[in-house]
Amino acid sequence: MSPVDHNQRASFDALLRPHLDRLYRFAYRLAGSKPEAEDLFQDVLLKAFARLDDLLEVGEPGSWLCRVMYNHFIDNRRRFARARLVSVEESQLPGQSVDSLPGDLDPVRDAERLENIMRLEQALAVLSDEHRLVVLLHDTEGYKLEEIHQITGDPLGTIKSRLHRARARLREILGADGTNARP
Amino acid sequence: MTCTQLTEKLDDYVDDLMDQAASATLAAHIEGCDDCQHVLASEHRLRESLTDYGESTMPQPDAAFFDRTLAKATRSGTRRQRNRWVMTGVGGTIAAGLALWMLGGMFLKTPDIAESGIPAIAMTLEEPRTLNLVFSSASALANATMTVVLPQGVEVEGFAGQREITWMTSLTEGKNVLPLTLIATSPHGGELMATLRHEGDDRTFRVRVTVI
Repeated sequence: MSPVDHNQRASFDALLRPHLDRLYRFAYRLAGSKPEAEDLFQDVLLKAFARLDDLLEVGEPGSWLCRVMYNHFIDNRRRFARARLVSVEESQLPGQSVDSLPGDLDPVRDAERLENIMRLEQALAVLSDEHRLVVLLHDTEGYKLEEIHQITGDPLGTIKSRLHRARARLREILGADGTNARP
Repeated sequence: MTCTQLTEKLDDYVDDLMDQAASATLAAHIEGCDDCQHVLASEHRLRESLTDYGESTMPQPDAAFFDRTLAKATRSGTRRQRNRWVMTGVGGTIAAGLALWMLGGMFLKTPDIAESGIPAIAMTLEEPRTLNLVFSSASALANATMTVVLPQGVEVEGFAGQREITWMTSLTEGKNVLPLTLIATSPHGGELMATLRHEGDDRTFRVRVTVI
């Protein structure tokens, strides 16, 4: 390895490492399954290294990486759409869905949270891809509307409207089955 | 203030996007309205579940996944340096970055560089020779188009009489080898051009062919 190569690799490593957790979570929210998320994650790191010159110049590498990942996901949607089908199949298998929660030591509270999350998972599966993604990014992952706009390139008004509709649909579904209506 | 207004403004109220006065008016209404308190409590439960969902459903990669992926990206990734196509050169001597070699029997031979800077190969009449075009791509590419334009008297094996051949191909990430088996049918020779196109980007490979 030449000194130049070594420096490039060291720069790449230093630049990306602080963003890897967030990027991995973003990949999972897009792809919906671990194997596909990891494929997507690896594809994007390869792309990022190929564009190291660009990456070194951007002000917010985290957002830039998410944008590259989002575009790659959209361009290869057919390939990654496979994951949604698999995850639906897998979710029907015993032991493949959420079966435990970190944190709470109160078994009653724990059981209630678990039940809510499982119902929420089913409700999220009913949403369109666009609605599910925006509600997961905003309400679950804590992205700001402006950040989602920067990543997806969709107009801010469209994102806000999707979020509003997604939540309304979740309320409707969860309200209908009594989950969210429980005092 | 009515209960309907809470339903309409629920997202903005919980997200704290309302102006202070409107928010205070709504808060005062909620305080005296059992139905709206119930709606708001439900909304807080939904938001709490969405936050919980983030941690409970997120798989963890194995401990070495990030290290492994970073190493793989820098080891096998080819830096584009603002060009989509990155050519590899044999011995670093070819200015355009074109790498090609002639397979002649059991030995590997790099082509000569003619005075013009274009690589040159010599062929013998009616004797098939395989010319390998070698190129690297920063990423896997589907639906690339390869067009080969041949000099007079040189054919690609299996395409007798055709001076221009176009076909679709795909590229893997990294090094790709595209073999062309050529046959000289007359002693004219000339310049062979192979053009690779993908999404508006293209590269042309030129090789001077002399026939002896």
